[in-house]
Amino acid sequence: MAATQFVVNGLLVGALFAAVAVGFALIWGVVDIINLAHGEMVMLGGYTSYWVLSLVTGNAEGSPVLFLATIPVAIAVLFVVGYALQRTLVSRVIGTDIFLTLLVTFGASIAIQQLAIQAWSANPRSIQVRFADPSMTLGGIVVPKMKLIAFVGAIVLTALLYVFLQKTRTGRAIRAVSQNPEAAALVGIDVEHTRAVTFGVSSAIAGGVGSFIAVILNIQPQMGLIYTLKSFVIVVFGGVGSIPGALIGGLLLGSIEELVAGFISSQWTLAVTFSLLIVLLVVKPKGLFGQGVEQ
Amino acid sequence: MSKATAGTETAVESDRAVLRTDGVTKRFGGLTAVSDVNVEIHRGEIVGLIGPNGAGKSTLFNCITGTLTPDEGQVYLQGEDVTDWPEHKIARAGLGRMFQETRVFGDMTVRKNLLLAAQEGGADVGNLLRRPDDSLLARTDELLDYVDLAGLADTRAGRMSFGQQKLLEFAMELMSEPEILLMDEPAGGINPSMLENLIDYIRNANEDEETTIFLIEHNMDFVMEIADRIYVLAHGERIAEGTPEEIQNDQTVLDAYLGRE
Amino acid sequence: MSTSDEDSRGALRSILPPEAVDRFLDTCNDHGWLLLGLGTVAAVSLPVLGLEAGYFMTVITEMFLFAILALSWDIVGGQTGYPSFGNMAFFGIGAYTTAILTKDFAFAFPVAFVLAGVAAVAIAAVIGAVVLRLRGHYFAIATLGVLLAAQQVSRILDITGGASGKILLQTPSGETFYFLFLAVLVVEMGVVYYLSSTRFGFVLNAIRDDEEKATAMGFNTTYYKTAAWMLAALFTGFAGGAYSLFNTFIDPQTAYNGAWNVELIAMALLGGSGTVAGPVIGAFGLHTIIEIVESYAVGWQLVLLGGAVIVTVIGFPNGVVGTLREYASEMDYYKHGGMAATNDDAEVSSDE
Repeated sequence: MAATQFVVNGLLVGALFAAVAVGFALIWGVVDIINLAHGEMVMLGGYTSYWVLSLVTGNAEGSPVLFLATIPVAIAVLFVVGYALQRTLVSRVIGTDIFLTLLVTFGASIAIQQLAIQAWSANPRSIQVRFADPSMTLGGIVVPKMKLIAFVGAIVLTALLYVFLQKTRTGRAIRAVSQNPEAAALVGIDVEHTRAVTFGVSSAIAGGVGSFIAVILNIQPQMGLIYTLKSFVIVVFGGVGSIPGALIGGLLLGSIEELVAGFISSQWTLAVTFSLLIVLLVVKPKGLFGQGVEQ
Repeated sequence: MSKATAGTETAVESDRAVLRTDGVTKRFGGLTAVSDVNVEIHRGEIVGLIGPNGAGKSTLFNCITGTLTPDEGQVYLQGEDVTDWPEHKIARAGLGRMFQETRVFGDMTVRKNLLLAAQEGGADVGNLLRRPDDSLLARTDELLDYVDLAGLADTRAGRMSFGQQKLLEFAMELMSEPEILLMDEPAGGINPSMLENLIDYIRNANEDEETTIFLIEHNMDFVMEIADRIYVLAHGERIAEGTPEEIQNDQTVLDAYLGRE
Repeated sequence: MSTSDEDSRGALRSILPPEAVDRFLDTCNDHGWLLLGLGTVAAVSLPVLGLEAGYFMTVITEMFLFAILALSWDIVGGQTGYPSFGNMAFFGIGAYTTAILTKDFAFAFPVAFVLAGVAAVAIAAVIGAVVLRLRGHYFAIATLGVLLAAQQVSRILDITGGASGKILLQTPSGETFYFLFLAVLVVEMGVVYYLSSTRFGFVLNAIRDDEEKATAMGFNTTYYKTAAWMLAALFTGFAGGAYSLFNTFIDPQTAYNGAWNVELIAMALLGGSGTVAGPVIGAFGLHTIIEIVESYAVGWQLVLLGGAVIVTVIGFPNGVVGTLREYASEMDYYKHGGMAATNDDAEVSSDE
């Protein structure tokens, strides 16, 4: 019974990991870089929601509806941040050494972290959402309502991205660039703009997820790197460029972490995640679902 | 070390093949890239390997060098079964390789490229931790003179032209004195006057240094001029073998080229 | 070598002719031992001439420390072409080794210091066997994962003092650390300089330039990569082993510091990676800047560091030494009858 409860908790959180990882995978696939500042987008999204809510209510508390209303703000802000990050920094190192692209995004990550500390201090914060009855019980399993909302929210964000990529003109341009930038340029696609939009969209989703994380967990300026690495684990597991793969990977990672936390200790979850990362890299560097990608 | 072994065993091995493949087969998924191919290269020969695009020539090379492991069949280097050896060990046993796209170490100087290629002392740790001695340096100067690259010894290899890099790569192979040298399209992408030089260099290496050469080539004039014998591959199978004259008059070869190219 | 800065280069050439730079670099290269000796003498004479333990001695000691770290990173990252984001893992292992041995087991510092290097090398051998099979993105992230995993483990264990770390009160004097870090740095520079003229060093460079070709030439690259990785771990472990007592305090955040890892990469790049002097020059330069900023703008140093990394990577990827060298060799090639490497140079002939 305990195990089932842990798995349910894990699935609820795992959907959030998955939504962050989907954006990370999209940037990897389309722009062909690993964005080490991706986790910072989650952090900034969380702080945006926190800040907006504080402005409206005077403190970081509010009704569920009021909280949900802050999410579009976080998404919009992070779209701009992501778009600008690509346009001003990343575009300058695309096509050079992979290592230099990693270093630029790592540099951005460090700078953003410290700016966040300057702006909001290093203390962890969280948003309080008021419910008359915070949890419900389904067949003996406790499901906190807010976690359920976050789970649904993360799934909706991922689904929206999927529809965006499949149905819209911009989405098709993004997929074209991911397959062959030269050919895409030849048929009149603005490759630089498309890449920047990819960055914007991916960051926006990460930002939206960050808002939920601010409610169900907490936010802190240095939290980003962990989410970047979790995304990497998920993408390596699910395969670069595979949204279903990332979704399964995220749910699985969440479950594993909750099981470790439940049966051993929550202190060991990160160590287990990183060990998993290294084992996965060595055993199956091309992912279990997606097609191979050259290094 | 391979040199020493070769010296003592020359008498026994003189009539044996330097390189022999026995029924080598390599499949990629459902596609059979190389199917049951036998080749035999004797000491002192220059042997050509030709065939239409996609015939499996490069795959056969990769199976021989150990970059790929054949699904079936054996590869023998100087009578020894090297089929399952790792690539570096096969190279160390006396198999040299020049790549199609010309590969030198671009951020290192021309001289360092050559010093690296020298096989004397091999991978012995003590030797690797010593500075290269004067005789080795003298040998690099000699080889650079030979291929007309003297004066560029301290230039970064990556700064040189494609043709010069090709010459450097060739000099590196001379430096390592392989028992057999596999060349993948040596004439590809170079101009006619340089081609003349290259033919001379290859001939000289073959005659003076007794280097055995096995080469893939698309330039028919070149291969017909230089090779003692030629193997023809098509669809992964060996369809002909013989002297250049025989190959030029072989109907199956003409069909393979005209029908598929 | 973009054409846009041709004009400024013309002016530069008359003031500082490439030939002169070339001669200067050659001289430095030929007399490396002499220069290293002179530098050592200069560094040793500072305390003799009256530099006393205090702020300035600490700052210079830290410069030596970062130079060791940057040069160690460069053995694997710059010379061998495996840029690691997890070098600080070996620093942390060294730091905790001395901290635990001297505090909990009453080892003498010199013994603990040597064991710190040994521990780092031993763990590097195990980790190297795993991560050095990866390339590109995968190698970089795997090493970052190693760093964070090590940090997390030190947070959990009792022996490391958990998240609150260990305070170390019985430590040698500031002067001891000055000479210790200097000695490690000098030895490391000597080793790297010597290796760069041996075939072992050539093999490392060859792995960086084209690992497949190096394999095809008969080198078992795994051995060489692992050896370089362990050498880097040795010096990084020594640096960490001395640091914990130098700092009188160690916790997971300082021992396995991801920001430092980026900082030392920036130092190596800024000075010129793949060279002996480059990472050292970069470490001295960047640490000076950071030290100054730190005293004026506490809390902004990481913003500056992030900015410095970005500016270095975008504007100056070859570093000081690399840029000088490129500039110096500019004329060299043409002087000896070479021609520019172009993409379609089928018409280039060798007989001129």
